[in-house]
Amino acid sequence: MWFRNTYLKTLREYRIAILGWGIGMGLMMFAVLSAIADLVSTPQARATLVTLAKSFAWIAEPIHVDTPGGYATWKYGFTILVVVLWPILAGSRMLRGEEERGSMDVLLSLPESRARVALRKLAALWTALILIGLIIGLLTFLAGQSVHADFGLGGALLYGLNISVIGGLFGSLALFISQFTQSRRTAAGITGGLLALSIAVDIVHRVVPNTEWFSRLSPVYYYNLSKPLIPSYGTDPVALLVLLIASAVLSGVAVWLFLRRDVGVAQALPGMIHLPARPMTPERALPVNAWSLQSVYSRSLRSMAVPTFWWTFSIAAFAAFMVFIVEQTEQQLKQLYESTPVLAGLIGKVGGGDASTNAALMSFFFVFLPVMLMAFAVTQASRWAADEEDGLQELVLATPQPRLKVILARFGALTTATIIVAVVTLAATVLATVASGLALDWGNLVAASLSIIPMGLLIAALGYLFSGWLRTAIDTGLLSFLLVIWFVITFIGPELNWSEGVMRLSPFYYYGTPIVNGLPVGNMLLIIAVTVVALAIASVRFMRKDIAH
Amino acid sequence: MTTLVETQGLTKRYGSSRGIEDVTFEIDEGEVFGFLGPNGAGKTTTIRTLMGLLRPTAGSAHIGGLDCWEQSTDVKRLVGYLPGELSLDPNLTGGQILEYFGNLRGGVDQSYLKALIERMGLDPSRKFRQYSSGNKRKIGIVQAFMHRPRLLILDEPTNGLDPLNQQEFDRMVREVRDEGRTVFLSSHILGEVEQTCNRVAIIREGQLVRIGEVAALKDIKRHDVTITFAGDAPLEAFKTLPGVDQAEALADGHSLRLAVSGGLDGVIKAAAQHPVVNLTSQEPSLEEVFLRYYEDDGAVAKEASHVVP
Repeated sequence: MWFRNTYLKTLREYRIAILGWGIGMGLMMFAVLSAIADLVSTPQARATLVTLAKSFAWIAEPIHVDTPGGYATWKYGFTILVVVLWPILAGSRMLRGEEERGSMDVLLSLPESRARVALRKLAALWTALILIGLIIGLLTFLAGQSVHADFGLGGALLYGLNISVIGGLFGSLALFISQFTQSRRTAAGITGGLLALSIAVDIVHRVVPNTEWFSRLSPVYYYNLSKPLIPSYGTDPVALLVLLIASAVLSGVAVWLFLRRDVGVAQALPGMIHLPARPMTPERALPVNAWSLQSVYSRSLRSMAVPTFWWTFSIAAFAAFMVFIVEQTEQQLKQLYESTPVLAGLIGKVGGGDASTNAALMSFFFVFLPVMLMAFAVTQASRWAADEEDGLQELVLATPQPRLKVILARFGALTTATIIVAVVTLAATVLATVASGLALDWGNLVAASLSIIPMGLLIAALGYLFSGWLRTAIDTGLLSFLLVIWFVITFIGPELNWSEGVMRLSPFYYYGTPIVNGLPVGNMLLIIAVTVVALAIASVRFMRKDIAH
Repeated sequence: MTTLVETQGLTKRYGSSRGIEDVTFEIDEGEVFGFLGPNGAGKTTTIRTLMGLLRPTAGSAHIGGLDCWEQSTDVKRLVGYLPGELSLDPNLTGGQILEYFGNLRGGVDQSYLKALIERMGLDPSRKFRQYSSGNKRKIGIVQAFMHRPRLLILDEPTNGLDPLNQQEFDRMVREVRDEGRTVFLSSHILGEVEQTCNRVAIIREGQLVRIGEVAALKDIKRHDVTITFAGDAPLEAFKTLPGVDQAEALADGHSLRLAVSGGLDGVIKAAAQHPVVNLTSQEPSLEEVFLRYYEDDGAVAKEASHVVP
């Protein structure tokens, strides 16, 4: 049945993603809503929650946060947009991925028009997105029922539909961009960057007054106009329509370009924005004398230069932005802490130490830095596994390079990249601190910025270790799962008063709160020791295993 | 002649799946050794085991006296390798790829490299992803030859090359042989093997079923003999002759077609008992020999006894 046509075949390829993303993100709603009963157990706690949400309005607009639907909408905020990563990958792969693999040639050799192939694939993507949204909606409804939420099945399903539609928009954007790139990875990377930018642009109007006009440029703004889990707020049909029309236009133009361009060739950009080509005659192509071609280490470093740049930019910008946010809200926060001891306790649990200081709040935000660096490390560990699976190690290992040297050179390049991320983040934070006049302990700031390095290396080493036995998709999935679980333990655990034993399962526990309490030397040594052991086992495994091809 | 490549009972299994089983052969220095077999027969598994990319389940493989697994780094100093499926960074130019692998080998003679590029008619300024499959193959061939290795291990080297480049490649292989270097060439293009190789091994379902000189293989295999008699063809007289695998009468009633293994002495003596109008004997091409080894499933065990390392 599944191989009857392109639509069913493509839908079959999406089946694991449908279940994985749908159930995974749906179950997160259970975790989020399980906290609501404690948070509104007393009038004082309820008031604290409302005040807290207002202070964190940049995450999401706080509306009726003392109700399950309002709390879930605010708490999930833009984090639910993690689900958009899948349509970005699927959209960039839909046509360009098939062209890269050469399978598009075979597909188009069949008596089926290009338009039909493209539209059937597009229909499969939308079907998958609707199914993901349906699963999220149903699980959200069940999670709501477990806490006697005031939203019904209709609201929950509309919540899922809103996620499907924003996913469809970014999937369509990835499909559109992939018409202009030679590689699906480039298209996915650019679209991922646009997603981050869209989230940032949407945040602006909640942080800076009178900037709503600017935020309207972001698709995420229209996504946030609908809050179906809050019955009194409801769904904005115009916003949904705007997103659907934008998706249709992007997909339509993408398919139109696909019908007119050569298969396997990127659509030329208009002359105004086309980068000038650097012509090279065959006679002058050798010797290249590039530093990046000298060794496995330098080649690896060069290949991760572009993603390292963007991740560095994002992480450093986030850190600097947080400094300004804390400085701007310093006075309000102090008043808040004095009037709401529960809030002080909550911030103190995650931020560490005395919550009446801005350092505690900074510390709370700084826990996001290792999360982001670890996400970067997951992508690079995934590439290590993928390179072997794609046969890219075959010829490298046919040269007289010992396998141990190859794996350590690659890991060394990743180490260099993480050090660059950390050092630039430190520099950006220091500059922002000096510019804003925020009072922070410099030693602790250095410790907080640089101690993210072992965190990134830990998950990378685990990725290298798992890749000794697992295929790339499973390796990446497992690392992502670990990262999400650790994140949940650290950020939801304190609210649920989980035991110290459970909290210790997350590496973020060992990162601690360096901005407040300084470098936890013992904990960092433990993280480094686990990293070294994982890398050592990964190296031994790589030296002894059959190279996949 | 010194032995450069030696495998002894080389076996590789993938869990319960078959890889190669008890593969034993030797290649002398200066030989061009052909390795024949259909898809999935075990050619690539044998080659990747020689390259130290796969760990043998049993047996051993040595190149230049070095163990291919335990001393694989040293082995690779001696070898230039062209894999069957070439996967390289699509964003690098041909020139960058060649320079990178040259550096990983400790540097190569640039003038020789440029000469190879010129001979293959390759444009090294283009990105790998922009190359046609034939040009990608040329990159693979140049990187295998560029450091003048003592042994070339080439897996389906001419796949995708046009006839002119195939001829150039054949010349390059002959030059390597003339310089006393060694080539291990896996292929299913039999004409190429027939023209360039001294010896050939045939692998089937993971087992070596035949190994020997190209000429000897052809000689011992089978002759297709057609005899035209003045009277009726005496079919019964030939059916039971030793060495006659097949005998059939043709439609004209005067002619017989025989498939004969080994020498023709018995057939000629039997034919001499009858008035013969015409007799033709056709020597099989390597292709026909090759096909014979794959024409029925029961052949492996029978033919394995003929393996002459």
